[in-house]
Amino acid sequence: MFLFLAGVRLMEDRVVAVKVVNFTKRFGNFTAVNGLNLEIYDREIFGFLGPNGSGKTTTLLTIATVYKPTSGDIFVYGHSVTREDYEVRKLVGLAFQDPKALWVDKVQELLEWHARVVGFSRGEAKKVVREVLETLDLWEHRNKYFYQLSGGTRKKLELAKVLIQRPRLAILDEPTAQVDVPTKHKLWNIIKELRDQGSTVIIATNDMFEAEKVCERVGIIYKGRLVAVDTVSGLKDRIPKGDVIEIVIEGDGRKDKAIESLMDLGRVEYQGNTLRIYVEKGEEKALLAADILRSAGIKVKSIMVKEPTLDDVFMYFTGARLVEES
Amino acid sequence: MRRVSVRGLLDLIHIIEWDLMKLKHQTLFVAMRTTWFILQVLVFGTTISMLVRYAQGFNYYDFYLLGVFTSLIYSVSIARGYEVADEFDEGIIEYHLALPVKRSTLALGRVLGGSISSFLFTLPMFIFIMILIQPGNWLWIPVSLVAIYLFSAGVVGMAITIVLSVKSTDATDILMGVIDALLIRLSTVFYPAPILAKIMPYYYSALINPVTSLSDFLRVLFLPEYVVYTSLPPQAQLAYIVGLAVGFSYLATYIVSRKLEAGGWR
Repeated sequence: MFLFLAGVRLMEDRVVAVKVVNFTKRFGNFTAVNGLNLEIYDREIFGFLGPNGSGKTTTLLTIATVYKPTSGDIFVYGHSVTREDYEVRKLVGLAFQDPKALWVDKVQELLEWHARVVGFSRGEAKKVVREVLETLDLWEHRNKYFYQLSGGTRKKLELAKVLIQRPRLAILDEPTAQVDVPTKHKLWNIIKELRDQGSTVIIATNDMFEAEKVCERVGIIYKGRLVAVDTVSGLKDRIPKGDVIEIVIEGDGRKDKAIESLMDLGRVEYQGNTLRIYVEKGEEKALLAADILRSAGIKVKSIMVKEPTLDDVFMYFTGARLVEES
Repeated sequence: MRRVSVRGLLDLIHIIEWDLMKLKHQTLFVAMRTTWFILQVLVFGTTISMLVRYAQGFNYYDFYLLGVFTSLIYSVSIARGYEVADEFDEGIIEYHLALPVKRSTLALGRVLGGSISSFLFTLPMFIFIMILIQPGNWLWIPVSLVAIYLFSAGVVGMAITIVLSVKSTDATDILMGVIDALLIRLSTVFYPAPILAKIMPYYYSALINPVTSLSDFLRVLFLPEYVVYTSLPPQAQLAYIVGLAVGFSYLATYIVSRKLEAGGWR
């Protein structure tokens, strides 16, 4: 308990890098983000977790001053995105979800231009671009046109812009989407190094494994609302009963009645043919759950008791599955 | 690693560079366009000049040369607007909006970059025209280049203002097409002002048309005898061109600084 409290105190003492205050963003009649409040601390890797269309990108692009808030405000190291947008941009580096370049852009030429815009001299730009291209294994692609690059290489090109800049606040929108597994691991290490060298990093992702592997804290955003924020382990601890029984069923039978009966065991979430029951002593309850389903005429395809994953956490807080919704 | 440097002017130069980088990739296109222009002027220009009879001592070929060059610089400048539309469509504008550059610098840089790029694009064709015309006073060449550049800046500013205001591919195509048709046709690019004066509404449209201002200004500089065929004194034409450049540069800067945000492209 003492350690837990000490941890909270430590968190509270940390410098706030990003403070989101009642942020709402509407596009016409559609509300992309609704009344978001959030604090992201200096030099942490913060993950924004949510399916596509949940409001992650809108929030990140507003932090980067690309969008303007409809109401509320966001402060980046104390600078308001609505009143001091230029000051904010000097602190922020952004890797977009869809890599931004024209088809005729050449890798090295584009990055050297980017380096000059973020403050390097011509000579320094050449040097830093070479370093970053080598770090990301892109050096051999330096003279290629953008249209000649694969999806994964384009993502690396986008990340290269942020690595060149080494900003105080790095915003990475799904940085490892379309990237193969070994490269993902390499990029995760690079992202951690970026933090170690002094950057605060915000990552938007719908990859649970990425969030668990890289992020210190995670915010779950769903349908424009922030539903939970905590460390990954903290979020798992917030699932009240510790175990998750995951049952894949076949056929409907008296499904609704069965689910009603299962509720006596614990909280039940279901989507498609998968049921999740949040319980204590999962092994004992699993057999009982299987019996209830069988007596309702529902065939059980598989049954599994496990410790909660971040996917379970997401399901618990939103009632939806992250990957399927994506 | 990140360097704190004196910004402002450097930022402006970097944004201008963006358009120049694009021009570098169009070298072949510039060569093809120049070749086509030379053929147009030599074949079509000569043919049409033999057909046109207007007044004693009026050489339509020289008149045509400066007119066709004006319509060319206009078209090349307005094409920058289409490029900005493409950039919006492909998300490049979002990338630019996220860069550590003031919005006003970004807008001004794109206007200046687009106009320098258009100016350089048409420079080989201007040189060819000068070779054909053989100007009596070579000092007028730098004056004309300044006027051409300012005209281009005004047109690029106008194109950017339109594109970023309507935020739509279809609306951009329609609006630009209409403006293009009106400005080129309702001008003295191919017809002297006294001819247009016979069709009154047409004439008044030509008088307020910046394309008229540049074509007539260039004619007065290089073909002084044509002063009797122009609608306004050259000082007024030049003032109009300066006004166009300043006005639309300001408008584009205002739109980008105050109104523009990403998204919403249709």
